[in-house]
Amino acid sequence: MVNILRPIDMMQTSTLDVEFSRLTRRRILILSGLSAALVLSLWLDILAGPSGLSAGQIIDGLINPQNLELRYKIILWDVRLPDALIAIVVGAALGLSGIETQTVLDNPLASPFTLGVSSAAVLGASAAIVLLPAIPFVPPAFILPVLALFGALGSACLILIVVRLSGGSRETVILFGIALVFLCNAIASGFHLIADADALQQVVFWMIGNLTKAGWLEVAIVACCFLVIFPFSMKHVWLLTLLRGGEAHARSTGINVSRLRTWVIIRASILAAFAVCFVGTIGFVGLVGPHIARLLLGEDHRMLVPGAVLCSALILSIASGLSKTLIPGVIIPVGILTAIVGVPLFLSLLVQRRGRLS
Amino acid sequence: MRLTVKNLSAFYGKKQILHDISFPDVKGGMIVGLLGPNASGKSTLMKCLSGENKSKGDVIFDGDCLHVVGRKKWSEKVATMPQTAPAPTALTPTELMWSTARALALPYSNKELSRKIEGIFDALGLSDFQLDALHTLSGGKRQLIGLALAFIREPELLLLDEPTSALDLHWRMIVLDLVKRKVQEEGSVSIAALHDLDLAARYCDLLVLLEQGRVIASGTPQEVLVRDNLARVYQVETEIDQSKHGYTRVDIIGAL
Repeated sequence: MVNILRPIDMMQTSTLDVEFSRLTRRRILILSGLSAALVLSLWLDILAGPSGLSAGQIIDGLINPQNLELRYKIILWDVRLPDALIAIVVGAALGLSGIETQTVLDNPLASPFTLGVSSAAVLGASAAIVLLPAIPFVPPAFILPVLALFGALGSACLILIVVRLSGGSRETVILFGIALVFLCNAIASGFHLIADADALQQVVFWMIGNLTKAGWLEVAIVACCFLVIFPFSMKHVWLLTLLRGGEAHARSTGINVSRLRTWVIIRASILAAFAVCFVGTIGFVGLVGPHIARLLLGEDHRMLVPGAVLCSALILSIASGLSKTLIPGVIIPVGILTAIVGVPLFLSLLVQRRGRLS
Repeated sequence: MRLTVKNLSAFYGKKQILHDISFPDVKGGMIVGLLGPNASGKSTLMKCLSGENKSKGDVIFDGDCLHVVGRKKWSEKVATMPQTAPAPTALTPTELMWSTARALALPYSNKELSRKIEGIFDALGLSDFQLDALHTLSGGKRQLIGLALAFIREPELLLLDEPTSALDLHWRMIVLDLVKRKVQEEGSVSIAALHDLDLAARYCDLLVLLEQGRVIASGTPQEVLVRDNLARVYQVETEIDQSKHGYTRVDIIGAL
């Protein structure tokens, strides 16, 4: 038996060092594979569409846009690229938001959507579509995303107030979130009751989730939001990993778990609010993406956080590509396909893992 | 090193849980055993000593007063092993140790940290499980990992809340032997909440017997483990004798 009190012998080879390094390298390889798959998926998503743009034309159009015919230039730069990129940035934002929320609330079903963010966004969107309000300084085309954003951020503020009042208790936060979902759904249902058929169809279409209305501005807003928040998440990866060892252990080390939980809920809610306000409620990605990453990469959040981002972006990107190609000439709303893509992937990984364990 | 605890009181809301807790000063190299039935205030006292729960009174260690230096500075010298073992997640013991060391900014290089973790796992019999998921390990193994997490911080004041409750007899002895050796060689102090009176008598230099948040007796095992104290606090009839190895032994005859 080794005496733990002895000075550290730096000359001794450490099997743990070797094995842990090997595990880390394997996980970096998986992250690289996910990144490569995402690039491939982005490329296929840009290729997908009925206009007959060839791969060569797309590459040429990306390098020298002026070489393309105007109609192809518009299709590539104003339709396909923003659609393909919004899938990735929204997926990344929802994945980051999902993994952090699941960790700080220690609940595999937790996401900003179970906390009421998406229901509040639906409420805002329903109000915008049914009531057709005019907001000073906001162009009519932006009233829907602005009200959806206000709804989502409003719910985030309410959750934060509850976090403060409950001293960061995760049970209270989850229960309040579920109550908020029911409240927002009830009020939104009231709007749906008084809506005419056109408005109701628009609400349903928005609720399903759709990437095709996003342009470069929307891509830039969600990307900036993600790029600002991601470094803060990476700064907390050790704390988040430690928290997976249990709240009692984390508190015993002197870490302020309530403060960490508050910060994470703030940034996760902001990310989810910006993600859903432009594309509708594509909530499933933020739930299943982190779980797929967890199955592939384990619980070390240095790997898990970027892994959840990549997995969620990949699912939404694949769903985006499929939405344009499954039925020729028809774009299926991506919200319908995220579950169809994500669930089989998730289940196959789960079965493989169970098989390995047994 | 010296730990002084004088007139320590703690409240949950308006309800007073600990009432003016005081016990003799603890010198470096000593283990203090906190004894008492369930809900006697052992875990609350542990949390007050670690700074996790707010309290009133004097808690002074190595010249620093808890209520003056604050939790953050206090935590640099103090490590707690909570009553609850690490959660049964897919995290591995190595990842948990590594993340704890890095989250607390312990000053080890990656190589040093690897060797440190390996040494602790070896001493606690965890070497074969260091890369297994926590949810595949038994409660006893996870309790040992809880102890390893406290050891990695090399504390001067080690607080152990029922450190052997999920362990078999062999590992109870190994763990408490290890703690004893550690505090004696490093001159540090350990406080352990224990239910096993014989183990407390064998390993602790000072015992503090609690009942409903009050100190009933404190002193050496011979002074504290007497029939009247145990009858009052645990409501059991006992006979106290000395083993042939010189330890105080509590023979429980039955409930009163």
